[in-house]
Amino acid sequence: MPTPNVKLTDSNIIVKAEKVNKHFGSLHVLKDIDLEVRKNEVVVIIGPSGSGKSTFLRCINHLEKINSGHIYVNGHMIGYHDRGGKLMEDSERNIARQRAEIGMVFQRFNLFPHLTAIENIIEAPTRVRKTPLEQARADGERLLKRVGLADKRDQYPNQLSGGQQQRVAIARALAMKPNLMLFDEPTSALDPEMIGEVLDVMKELAHEMTMIVVSHEMGFARAAADRIVFVDGGQIIEQASPQEFFASPRSERTRQFLSQILH
Amino acid sequence: MYHFDWQVFLKYIWPPSAFQDPLIRNGLIVTVVVSVVAQALGVVLGLFAALGKMSKFPLFRWISEIYIWYFRGTPLLVQMSLLFFGLGVTHIYDFPDFLVGAVTITGAVQAGILALGINEGAYMAEIVRAGIESIDPGQMEAAKSLGMTYGLAMQRIVLPQAAKVIIPPLGNEFNNMMKTTSLMVVISAGELFYGFEQVNARIFKPFELFIAASLYYLLLTTIWSFIQAKIESSLGERKGVEHSPSMMQRIFAGTSGKGVR
Repeated sequence: MPTPNVKLTDSNIIVKAEKVNKHFGSLHVLKDIDLEVRKNEVVVIIGPSGSGKSTFLRCINHLEKINSGHIYVNGHMIGYHDRGGKLMEDSERNIARQRAEIGMVFQRFNLFPHLTAIENIIEAPTRVRKTPLEQARADGERLLKRVGLADKRDQYPNQLSGGQQQRVAIARALAMKPNLMLFDEPTSALDPEMIGEVLDVMKELAHEMTMIVVSHEMGFARAAADRIVFVDGGQIIEQASPQEFFASPRSERTRQFLSQILH
Repeated sequence: MYHFDWQVFLKYIWPPSAFQDPLIRNGLIVTVVVSVVAQALGVVLGLFAALGKMSKFPLFRWISEIYIWYFRGTPLLVQMSLLFFGLGVTHIYDFPDFLVGAVTITGAVQAGILALGINEGAYMAEIVRAGIESIDPGQMEAAKSLGMTYGLAMQRIVLPQAAKVIIPPLGNEFNNMMKTTSLMVVISAGELFYGFEQVNARIFKPFELFIAASLYYLLLTTIWSFIQAKIESSLGERKGVEHSPSMMQRIFAGTSGKGVR
Protein backbone atom coordinates (compact mmCIF):
# COMPACT_ATOMS: atom_id res chain seq x y z
CA MET A 1 0.00 0.00 0.00
CA PRO A 2 1.52 3.34 -0.97
CA THR A 3 2.17 5.88 1.74
CA PRO A 4 0.11 9.03 1.31
CA ASN A 5 2.84 11.29 0.00
CA VAL A 6 4.07 8.89 -2.62
CA LYS A 7 2.41 9.21 -5.98
CA LEU A 8 1.02 6.12 -7.57
CA THR A 9 3.43 4.91 -10.16
CA ASP A 10 1.15 2.50 -11.96
CA SER A 11 -0.31 4.77 -14.61
CA ASN A 12 -2.94 2.18 -15.41
CA ILE A 13 -4.70 2.92 -12.16
CA ILE A 14 -6.95 5.91 -12.76
CA VAL A 15 -8.78 5.93 -9.43
CA LYS A 16 -7.64 4.44 -6.19
CA ALA A 17 -9.62 4.88 -2.99
CA GLU A 18 -8.13 3.74 0.28
CA LYS A 19 -10.11 3.43 3.48
CA VAL A 20 -12.32 6.39 2.62
CA ASN A 21 -14.62 7.55 5.39
CA LYS A 22 -17.17 10.28 5.23
CA HIS A 23 -19.56 11.62 7.83
CA PHE A 24 -22.47 14.00 7.48
CA GLY A 25 -22.76 15.11 11.06
CA SER A 26 -23.43 11.98 13.06
CA LEU A 27 -24.26 10.01 9.92
CA HIS A 28 -21.45 7.74 8.78
CA VAL A 29 -22.11 7.61 5.02
CA LEU A 30 -18.92 6.01 3.73
CA LYS A 31 -17.17 3.30 5.72
CA ASP A 32 -13.66 2.29 4.76
CA ILE A 33 -14.27 2.30 1.05
CA ASP A 34 -11.47 0.68 -0.98
CA LEU A 35 -11.75 0.75 -4.72
CA GLU A 36 -9.42 0.65 -7.67
CA VAL A 37 -10.44 1.56 -11.19
CA ARG A 38 -8.11 0.78 -14.03
CA LYS A 39 -7.66 2.56 -17.29
CA ASN A 40 -10.57 2.10 -19.72
CA GLU A 41 -12.52 0.20 -17.14
CA VAL A 42 -16.24 0.87 -16.81
CA VAL A 43 -17.42 0.50 -13.25
CA VAL A 44 -21.10 0.71 -12.40
CA ILE A 45 -21.93 1.38 -8.77
CA ILE A 46 -25.35 0.23 -7.69
CA GLY A 47 -27.09 0.13 -4.37
CA PRO A 48 -30.21 1.28 -2.56
CA SER A 49 -30.82 5.00 -2.21
CA GLY A 50 -28.97 6.46 0.73
CA SER A 51 -26.28 3.84 0.45
CA GLY A 52 -23.59 6.47 -0.14
CA LYS A 53 -22.89 5.68 -3.78
CA SER A 54 -23.47 9.22 -5.06
CA THR A 55 -21.53 10.66 -2.15
CA PHE A 56 -18.59 8.45 -2.99
CA LEU A 57 -18.71 9.55 -6.62
CA ARG A 58 -18.71 13.19 -5.52
CA CYS A 59 -15.68 12.54 -3.32
CA ILE A 60 -13.74 11.40 -6.37
CA ASN A 61 -13.68 14.94 -7.76
CA HIS A 62 -13.70 16.50 -4.32
CA LEU A 63 -17.17 18.01 -4.52
CA GLU A 64 -17.44 16.38 -1.11
CA LYS A 65 -14.66 16.36 1.42
CA ILE A 66 -13.64 13.10 2.99
CA ASN A 67 -12.96 12.66 6.69
CA SER A 68 -10.28 10.04 6.42
CA GLY A 69 -8.56 7.83 3.89
CA HIS A 70 -7.12 8.79 0.54
CA ILE A 71 -8.40 9.08 -2.99
CA TYR A 72 -5.95 9.16 -5.85
CA VAL A 73 -7.02 10.21 -9.31
CA ASN A 74 -4.60 9.95 -12.21
CA GLY A 75 -1.85 9.14 -9.75
CA HIS A 76 -2.29 12.16 -7.49
CA MET A 77 -4.18 12.48 -4.26
CA ILE A 78 -7.26 14.57 -4.87
CA GLY A 79 -8.25 17.50 -2.71
CA TYR A 80 -5.49 17.06 -0.17
CA HIS A 81 -1.76 17.00 0.19
CA ASP A 82 0.32 15.38 2.81
CA ARG A 83 2.18 17.61 5.22
CA GLY A 84 4.20 15.58 7.67
CA GLY A 85 1.62 12.81 7.86
CA LYS A 86 -1.25 15.26 8.21
CA LEU A 87 -3.65 15.79 5.34
CA MET A 88 -4.19 19.43 4.40
CA GLU A 89 -6.82 20.57 1.96
CA ASP A 90 -5.26 21.52 -1.35
CA SER A 91 -5.34 25.01 -2.80
CA GLU A 92 -8.39 25.88 -4.84
CA ARG A 93 -6.29 26.19 -7.96
CA ASN A 94 -4.82 22.72 -7.58
CA ILE A 95 -8.20 21.19 -6.98
CA ALA A 96 -9.58 22.96 -10.05
CA ARG A 97 -6.65 21.72 -12.12
CA GLN A 98 -7.35 18.14 -11.08
CA ARG A 99 -11.06 18.46 -11.65
CA ALA A 100 -10.43 19.63 -15.19
CA GLU A 101 -9.24 16.09 -15.94
CA ILE A 102 -12.39 14.52 -14.51
CA GLY A 103 -15.66 14.82 -16.38
CA MET A 104 -18.85 14.75 -14.38
CA VAL A 105 -22.43 14.28 -15.47
CA PHE A 106 -25.16 15.11 -12.98
CA GLN A 107 -28.56 13.67 -12.35
CA ARG A 108 -30.21 17.02 -13.03
CA PHE A 109 -27.93 17.95 -15.97
CA ASN A 110 -26.87 21.30 -14.48
CA LEU A 111 -26.47 22.88 -17.87
CA PHE A 112 -25.87 26.62 -17.74
CA PRO A 113 -29.29 28.07 -18.63
CA HIS A 114 -27.96 31.42 -19.83
CA LEU A 115 -25.74 29.79 -22.45
CA THR A 116 -26.63 27.95 -25.65
CA ALA A 117 -25.68 24.32 -26.18
CA ILE A 118 -22.45 25.21 -27.94
CA GLU A 119 -21.64 27.93 -25.42
CA ASN A 120 -22.15 25.46 -22.59
CA ILE A 121 -19.65 23.17 -24.26
CA ILE A 122 -16.93 25.71 -25.08
CA GLU A 123 -17.11 27.66 -21.82
CA ALA A 124 -14.62 25.58 -19.86
CA PRO A 125 -12.22 24.80 -22.72
CA THR A 126 -11.89 28.49 -23.58
CA ARG A 127 -11.82 29.81 -20.00
CA VAL A 128 -9.94 27.06 -18.20
CA ARG A 129 -7.81 25.46 -20.90
CA LYS A 130 -7.47 28.70 -22.90
CA THR A 131 -8.27 26.84 -26.10
CA PRO A 132 -8.63 29.33 -28.98
CA LEU A 133 -12.30 30.07 -29.64
CA GLU A 134 -12.33 28.76 -33.20
CA GLN A 135 -10.80 25.47 -32.21
CA ALA A 136 -13.06 25.10 -29.17
CA ARG A 137 -16.06 25.72 -31.39
CA ALA A 138 -14.96 23.16 -33.95
CA ASP A 139 -14.34 20.61 -31.19
CA GLY A 140 -17.68 21.48 -29.64
CA GLU A 141 -19.53 20.98 -32.88
CA ARG A 142 -17.89 17.62 -33.35
CA LEU A 143 -19.01 16.62 -29.86
CA LEU A 144 -22.55 17.79 -30.49
CA LYS A 145 -22.61 15.70 -33.62
CA ARG A 146 -21.32 12.75 -31.69
CA VAL A 147 -24.19 12.96 -29.19
CA GLY A 148 -26.59 13.44 -32.10
CA LEU A 149 -27.43 17.09 -31.49
CA ALA A 150 -25.59 18.98 -34.21
CA ASP A 151 -28.81 20.81 -35.08
CA LYS A 152 -29.34 22.03 -31.48
CA ARG A 153 -26.14 24.03 -31.42
CA ASP A 154 -27.74 27.40 -30.73
CA GLN A 155 -30.63 26.28 -28.56
CA TYR A 156 -30.83 27.23 -24.91
CA PRO A 157 -31.19 24.41 -22.38
CA ASN A 158 -34.84 25.24 -21.71
CA GLN A 159 -35.54 24.65 -25.39
CA LEU A 160 -34.23 21.08 -25.17
CA SER A 161 -35.84 17.92 -23.82
CA GLY A 162 -34.36 16.27 -20.75
CA GLY A 163 -32.63 13.62 -22.83
CA GLN A 164 -31.17 16.24 -25.13
CA GLN A 165 -30.00 18.32 -22.18
CA GLN A 166 -28.24 15.35 -20.67
CA ARG A 167 -26.52 14.60 -23.96
CA VAL A 168 -25.32 18.21 -24.16
CA ALA A 169 -24.08 17.84 -20.58
CA ILE A 170 -22.11 14.76 -21.60
CA ALA A 171 -20.63 16.66 -24.55
CA ARG A 172 -19.77 19.53 -22.20
CA ALA A 173 -17.87 17.19 -19.90
CA LEU A 174 -16.09 15.53 -22.83
CA ALA A 175 -14.99 18.91 -24.20
CA MET A 176 -12.37 19.10 -21.46
CA LYS A 177 -10.89 15.85 -22.79
CA PRO A 178 -11.02 14.20 -19.39
CA ASN A 179 -9.49 10.82 -18.82
CA LEU A 180 -12.15 9.83 -16.34
CA MET A 181 -15.90 10.31 -16.55
CA LEU A 182 -18.19 10.22 -13.54
CA PHE A 183 -21.92 9.77 -14.05
CA ASP A 184 -24.17 10.50 -11.09
CA GLU A 185 -27.49 8.79 -11.83
CA PRO A 186 -27.54 10.31 -15.31
CA THR A 187 -30.96 8.94 -16.26
CA SER A 188 -32.85 9.18 -12.97
CA ALA A 189 -34.41 12.55 -13.76
CA LEU A 190 -35.47 11.57 -17.28
CA ASP A 191 -38.82 10.52 -18.65
CA PRO A 192 -38.69 6.82 -19.55
CA GLU A 193 -38.74 7.43 -23.30
CA MET A 194 -35.58 9.52 -23.09
CA ILE A 195 -33.45 7.15 -21.08
CA GLY A 196 -32.45 5.10 -24.11
CA GLU A 197 -30.89 7.97 -26.05
CA VAL A 198 -28.66 8.91 -23.11
CA LEU A 199 -27.66 5.31 -22.40
CA ASP A 200 -26.77 4.84 -26.08
CA VAL A 201 -24.31 7.71 -25.88
CA MET A 202 -22.86 6.28 -22.69
CA LYS A 203 -22.49 2.81 -24.16
CA GLU A 204 -20.68 4.31 -27.10
CA LEU A 205 -18.33 6.10 -24.70
CA ALA A 206 -17.78 2.98 -22.64
CA HIS A 207 -15.66 1.48 -25.40
CA GLU A 208 -13.00 4.12 -25.07
CA MET A 209 -13.11 5.74 -21.66
CA THR A 210 -12.64 5.12 -18.00
CA MET A 211 -16.05 5.56 -16.47
CA ILE A 212 -17.62 5.31 -13.05
CA VAL A 213 -21.38 5.28 -13.25
CA VAL A 214 -23.85 5.43 -10.40
CA SER A 215 -27.05 4.11 -11.89
CA HIS A 216 -30.14 2.03 -11.44
CA GLU A 217 -30.11 1.00 -15.09
CA MET A 218 -29.42 -2.72 -14.87
CA GLY A 219 -29.63 -3.08 -18.65
CA PHE A 220 -26.81 -0.61 -19.05
CA ALA A 221 -24.80 -2.28 -16.30
CA ARG A 222 -25.20 -5.64 -17.96
CA ALA A 223 -24.26 -4.36 -21.39
CA ALA A 224 -21.51 -1.86 -20.70
CA ALA A 225 -19.96 -2.50 -17.31
CA ASP A 226 -16.69 -4.32 -16.83
CA ARG A 227 -17.40 -4.50 -13.15
CA ILE A 228 -20.34 -3.91 -10.90
CA VAL A 229 -19.83 -2.61 -7.39
CA PHE A 230 -22.68 -3.09 -4.97
CA VAL A 231 -22.79 -0.57 -2.13
CA ASP A 232 -25.07 -0.69 0.86
CA GLY A 233 -24.92 1.20 4.14
CA GLY A 234 -21.78 3.04 3.07
CA GLN A 235 -19.83 -0.15 2.43
CA ILE A 236 -18.84 -2.08 -0.63
CA ILE A 237 -20.70 -5.35 -0.21
CA GLU A 238 -19.41 -7.08 -3.29
CA GLN A 239 -17.98 -6.45 -6.71
CA ALA A 240 -17.92 -8.71 -9.72
CA SER A 241 -18.28 -8.83 -13.47
CA PRO A 242 -21.88 -8.27 -14.63
CA GLN A 243 -22.33 -11.93 -15.63
CA GLU A 244 -21.19 -13.16 -12.27
CA PHE A 245 -22.96 -10.43 -10.36
CA PHE A 246 -26.39 -11.01 -11.82
CA ALA A 247 -26.09 -14.81 -12.13
CA SER A 248 -24.65 -15.65 -8.76
CA PRO A 249 -24.55 -12.82 -6.25
CA ARG A 250 -22.58 -13.87 -3.22
CA SER A 251 -24.14 -11.91 -0.39
CA GLU A 252 -27.65 -12.08 0.93
CA ARG A 253 -28.04 -8.29 0.77
CA THR A 254 -27.14 -8.26 -2.91
CA ARG A 255 -29.68 -10.97 -3.61
CA GLN A 256 -32.32 -9.02 -1.73
CA PHE A 257 -31.53 -5.82 -3.61
CA LEU A 258 -31.55 -7.56 -6.97
CA SER A 259 -34.86 -9.25 -6.26
CA GLN A 260 -36.34 -5.85 -5.42
CA ILE A 261 -35.25 -4.15 -8.63
CA LEU A 262 -35.47 -7.07 -11.05
CA HIS A 263 -38.99 -8.23 -10.29
CA MET B 1 -55.55 83.79 2.10
CA TYR B 2 -52.18 82.83 0.69
CA HIS B 3 -51.45 84.40 -2.61
CA PHE B 4 -49.95 81.71 -4.83
CA ASP B 5 -47.19 83.24 -6.93
CA TRP B 6 -47.84 81.72 -10.34
CA GLN B 7 -45.03 83.64 -11.92
CA VAL B 8 -42.40 82.11 -9.67
CA PHE B 9 -44.02 78.70 -9.85
CA LEU B 10 -44.18 78.61 -13.65
CA LYS B 11 -40.67 79.97 -14.00
CA TYR B 12 -39.32 77.18 -11.83
CA ILE B 13 -41.31 74.28 -13.16
CA TRP B 14 -40.57 75.08 -16.78
CA PRO B 15 -37.06 73.73 -17.35
CA PRO B 16 -35.87 76.23 -20.01
CA SER B 17 -36.59 79.14 -17.72
CA ALA B 18 -35.59 77.36 -14.52
CA PHE B 19 -32.26 76.34 -16.03
CA GLN B 20 -31.34 79.95 -16.52
CA ASP B 21 -30.67 79.82 -12.84
CA PRO B 22 -27.37 77.92 -12.57
CA LEU B 23 -28.35 76.73 -9.10
CA ILE B 24 -31.16 74.68 -10.62
CA ARG B 25 -29.34 73.60 -13.77
CA ASN B 26 -26.22 72.48 -11.98
CA GLY B 27 -28.31 71.06 -9.18
CA LEU B 28 -30.06 68.74 -11.56
CA ILE B 29 -26.76 67.67 -13.11
CA VAL B 30 -25.22 67.02 -9.69
CA THR B 31 -28.26 65.00 -8.61
CA VAL B 32 -28.16 62.76 -11.67
CA VAL B 33 -24.39 62.30 -11.70
CA VAL B 34 -24.17 61.66 -7.97
CA SER B 35 -27.03 59.16 -8.19
CA VAL B 36 -25.35 57.19 -10.96
CA VAL B 37 -21.89 57.20 -9.41
CA ALA B 38 -23.10 56.47 -5.89
CA GLN B 39 -25.31 53.64 -7.14
CA ALA B 40 -22.40 52.16 -9.09
CA LEU B 41 -20.24 52.38 -5.97
CA GLY B 42 -23.05 50.76 -4.01
CA VAL B 43 -23.30 47.87 -6.45
CA VAL B 44 -19.55 47.20 -6.29
CA LEU B 45 -19.43 47.43 -2.49
CA GLY B 46 -22.59 45.35 -2.26
CA LEU B 47 -21.08 42.65 -4.43
CA PHE B 48 -17.97 42.45 -2.28
CA ALA B 49 -19.97 42.55 0.93
CA ALA B 50 -22.25 39.77 -0.36
CA LEU B 51 -19.31 37.59 -1.37
CA GLY B 52 -17.64 38.41 1.94
CA LYS B 53 -20.73 37.42 3.86
CA MET B 54 -20.82 34.07 2.06
CA SER B 55 -17.07 33.52 2.38
CA LYS B 56 -15.64 30.51 4.12
CA PHE B 57 -13.11 32.80 5.82
CA PRO B 58 -14.50 34.13 9.10
CA LEU B 59 -12.56 37.39 8.82
CA PHE B 60 -14.32 38.33 5.56
CA ARG B 61 -17.65 37.35 7.03
CA TRP B 62 -17.11 39.54 10.09
CA ILE B 63 -16.02 42.54 8.06
CA SER B 64 -19.10 42.22 5.87
CA GLU B 65 -21.43 41.68 8.80
CA ILE B 66 -20.13 44.71 10.66
CA TYR B 67 -20.29 46.86 7.56
CA ILE B 68 -23.87 45.89 6.84
CA TRP B 69 -24.88 46.13 10.48
CA TYR B 70 -23.47 49.62 10.93
CA PHE B 71 -24.61 51.20 7.69
CA ARG B 72 -28.09 49.75 7.77
CA GLY B 73 -28.42 50.41 11.46
CA THR B 74 -27.61 54.13 11.49
CA PRO B 75 -29.22 57.03 9.61
CA LEU B 76 -27.70 58.07 6.33
CA LEU B 77 -27.97 61.72 7.34
CA VAL B 78 -25.77 61.03 10.34
CA GLN B 79 -23.31 58.97 8.28
CA MET B 80 -23.02 61.76 5.74
CA SER B 81 -22.47 64.45 8.36
CA LEU B 82 -19.93 62.30 10.14
CA LEU B 83 -18.05 61.67 6.93
CA PHE B 84 -17.96 65.26 5.74
CA PHE B 85 -17.80 67.35 8.90
CA GLY B 86 -16.31 64.69 11.16
CA LEU B 87 -13.43 63.66 8.94
CA GLY B 88 -12.92 67.28 7.94
CA VAL B 89 -12.45 68.55 11.47
CA THR B 90 -10.02 65.76 12.36
CA HIS B 91 -8.06 66.36 9.16
CA ILE B 92 -8.13 62.64 8.48
CA TYR B 93 -9.43 63.68 5.10
CA ASP B 94 -10.30 67.28 4.25
CA PHE B 95 -12.26 66.61 1.07
CA PRO B 96 -10.32 69.04 -1.09
CA ASP B 97 -11.93 70.00 -4.40
CA PHE B 98 -10.36 68.40 -7.43
CA LEU B 99 -10.61 68.86 -11.14
CA VAL B 100 -11.80 66.30 -13.62
CA GLY B 101 -11.19 67.87 -16.99
CA ALA B 102 -12.88 71.26 -16.77
CA VAL B 103 -15.27 70.24 -14.00
CA THR B 104 -14.58 70.85 -10.34
CA ILE B 105 -15.68 68.03 -8.08
CA THR B 106 -16.24 69.74 -4.77
CA GLY B 107 -15.38 68.08 -1.50
CA ALA B 108 -19.05 68.06 -0.56
CA VAL B 109 -19.97 66.19 -3.73
CA GLN B 110 -17.21 63.65 -3.04
CA ALA B 111 -18.46 63.18 0.48
CA GLY B 112 -22.02 62.88 -0.78
CA ILE B 113 -21.08 60.21 -3.30
CA LEU B 114 -19.09 58.29 -0.71
CA ALA B 115 -21.76 58.44 1.94
CA LEU B 116 -24.57 57.51 -0.43
CA GLY B 117 -22.49 54.79 -2.11
CA ILE B 118 -21.23 53.21 1.09
CA ASN B 119 -24.69 53.28 2.60
CA GLU B 120 -26.17 51.84 -0.58
CA GLY B 121 -23.59 49.05 -0.60
CA ALA B 122 -24.96 47.77 2.70
CA TYR B 123 -28.40 47.46 1.13
CA MET B 124 -27.14 46.07 -2.17
CA ALA B 125 -25.23 43.40 -0.25
CA GLU B 126 -28.46 41.74 0.78
CA ILE B 127 -29.92 42.07 -2.71
CA VAL B 128 -26.83 40.57 -4.33
CA ARG B 129 -26.65 37.80 -1.77
CA ALA B 130 -30.29 36.90 -2.31
CA GLY B 131 -29.64 36.88 -6.05
CA ILE B 132 -26.66 34.57 -5.73
CA GLU B 133 -28.46 32.28 -3.32
CA SER B 134 -31.40 31.98 -5.70
CA ILE B 135 -29.15 30.15 -8.16
CA ASP B 136 -29.20 26.36 -7.95
CA PRO B 137 -26.01 25.18 -6.19
CA GLY B 138 -25.76 22.60 -8.98
CA GLN B 139 -24.58 25.42 -11.23
CA MET B 140 -21.54 26.07 -9.07
CA GLU B 141 -20.87 22.34 -8.81
CA ALA B 142 -21.08 21.87 -12.56
CA ALA B 143 -18.71 24.79 -13.10
CA LYS B 144 -16.26 23.46 -10.54
CA SER B 145 -16.41 19.97 -12.00
CA LEU B 146 -15.28 21.52 -15.29
CA GLY B 147 -12.16 22.83 -13.59
CA MET B 148 -13.31 26.37 -12.88
CA THR B 149 -12.17 28.11 -9.73
CA TYR B 150 -14.76 29.69 -7.43
CA GLY B 151 -13.99 33.15 -8.80
CA LEU B 152 -14.29 32.15 -12.43
CA ALA B 153 -17.47 30.16 -11.80
CA MET B 154 -18.96 33.12 -9.93
CA GLN B 155 -18.07 35.54 -12.69
CA ARG B 156 -19.05 33.42 -15.68
CA ILE B 157 -21.83 31.18 -14.43
CA VAL B 158 -23.47 32.33 -11.20
CA LEU B 159 -23.44 36.13 -11.40
CA PRO B 160 -24.81 36.37 -14.95
CA GLN B 161 -27.78 34.30 -13.80
CA ALA B 162 -28.08 36.12 -10.50
CA ALA B 163 -28.13 39.44 -12.38
CA LYS B 164 -31.57 38.58 -13.66
CA VAL B 165 -32.77 38.40 -10.06
CA ILE B 166 -30.72 41.39 -8.90
CA ILE B 167 -31.64 43.90 -11.60
CA PRO B 168 -35.29 44.56 -10.70
CA PRO B 169 -34.57 45.47 -7.05
CA LEU B 170 -31.46 47.30 -8.20
CA GLY B 171 -33.70 49.51 -10.34
CA ASN B 172 -35.83 50.26 -7.31
CA GLU B 173 -32.72 51.10 -5.33
CA PHE B 174 -31.68 53.58 -8.00
CA ASN B 175 -35.10 55.18 -7.93
CA ASN B 176 -34.65 55.61 -4.19
CA MET B 177 -31.13 56.86 -4.66
CA MET B 178 -32.22 59.77 -6.82
CA LYS B 179 -34.58 60.92 -4.10
CA THR B 180 -32.12 60.28 -1.30
CA THR B 181 -29.49 62.53 -2.89
CA SER B 182 -31.60 65.40 -1.50
CA LEU B 183 -30.08 64.66 1.89
CA MET B 184 -26.85 66.14 0.56
CA VAL B 185 -28.46 69.52 1.25
CA VAL B 186 -26.99 69.28 4.76
CA ILE B 187 -23.45 69.29 3.41
CA SER B 188 -24.27 71.94 0.76
CA ALA B 189 -23.25 69.68 -2.08
CA GLY B 190 -25.11 71.77 -4.65
CA GLU B 191 -27.64 69.19 -5.76
CA LEU B 192 -31.16 69.90 -6.93
CA PHE B 193 -32.80 70.40 -3.56
CA TYR B 194 -29.93 72.59 -2.42
CA GLY B 195 -30.52 74.71 -5.53
CA PHE B 196 -34.17 75.23 -4.62
CA GLU B 197 -33.25 75.95 -1.02
CA GLN B 198 -30.85 78.63 -2.16
CA VAL B 199 -33.44 80.20 -4.41
CA ASN B 200 -35.89 80.09 -1.53
CA ALA B 201 -33.40 81.78 0.73
CA ARG B 202 -33.28 84.57 -1.81
CA ILE B 203 -36.99 85.05 -2.60
CA PHE B 204 -38.79 83.09 0.15
CA LYS B 205 -41.47 81.27 -1.80
CA PRO B 206 -41.21 77.85 -0.12
CA PHE B 207 -44.64 76.63 -1.22
CA GLU B 208 -44.15 77.34 -4.92
CA LEU B 209 -40.49 76.39 -5.00
CA PHE B 210 -40.75 73.12 -3.12
CA ILE B 211 -43.68 71.97 -5.21
CA ALA B 212 -41.52 72.72 -8.24
CA ALA B 213 -38.61 70.85 -6.64
CA SER B 214 -40.79 67.83 -5.98
CA LEU B 215 -41.91 67.81 -9.62
CA TYR B 216 -38.30 67.60 -10.79
CA TYR B 217 -37.74 64.53 -8.63
CA LEU B 218 -40.99 63.09 -9.93
CA LEU B 219 -39.79 63.66 -13.47
CA LEU B 220 -36.50 61.89 -12.77
CA THR B 221 -38.06 58.89 -11.10
CA THR B 222 -40.74 58.61 -13.79
CA ILE B 223 -38.20 58.69 -16.62
CA TRP B 224 -36.21 56.09 -14.74
CA SER B 225 -39.21 53.82 -14.30
CA PHE B 226 -39.67 53.78 -18.08
CA ILE B 227 -36.01 52.93 -18.61
CA GLN B 228 -36.23 50.26 -15.93
CA ALA B 229 -39.28 48.68 -17.55
CA LYS B 230 -37.42 48.56 -20.86
CA ILE B 231 -34.37 46.94 -19.28
CA GLU B 232 -36.45 44.37 -17.47
CA SER B 233 -38.56 43.43 -20.44
CA SER B 234 -35.49 42.97 -22.63
CA LEU B 235 -33.98 40.87 -19.86
CA GLY B 236 -37.13 38.79 -19.69
CA GLU B 237 -37.33 38.28 -23.43
CA ARG B 238 -33.83 37.04 -23.75
CA LYS B 239 -34.02 34.55 -20.94
CA GLY B 240 -37.60 33.45 -21.47
CA VAL B 241 -38.95 34.82 -18.19
CA GLU B 242 -42.45 35.93 -17.22
CA HIS B 243 -43.39 39.50 -18.03
CA SER B 244 -42.38 42.11 -15.55
CA PRO B 245 -45.02 44.47 -14.16
CA SER B 246 -46.47 46.96 -16.62
CA MET B 247 -45.59 50.62 -16.64
CA MET B 248 -48.81 51.65 -14.92
CA GLN B 249 -48.40 48.99 -12.24
CA ARG B 250 -44.88 50.19 -11.71
CA ILE B 251 -45.70 53.86 -11.31
CA PHE B 252 -48.73 53.46 -9.11
CA ALA B 253 -47.76 50.41 -7.09
CA GLY B 254 -46.82 51.75 -3.66
CA THR B 255 -43.04 51.75 -3.69
CA SER B 256 -43.04 50.38 -0.15
CA GLY B 257 -41.38 53.70 0.74
CA LYS B 258 -38.16 53.12 2.49
CA GLY B 259 -38.01 56.87 2.91
CA VAL B 260 -35.05 58.43 4.57
CA ARG B 261 -32.67 55.81 5.83
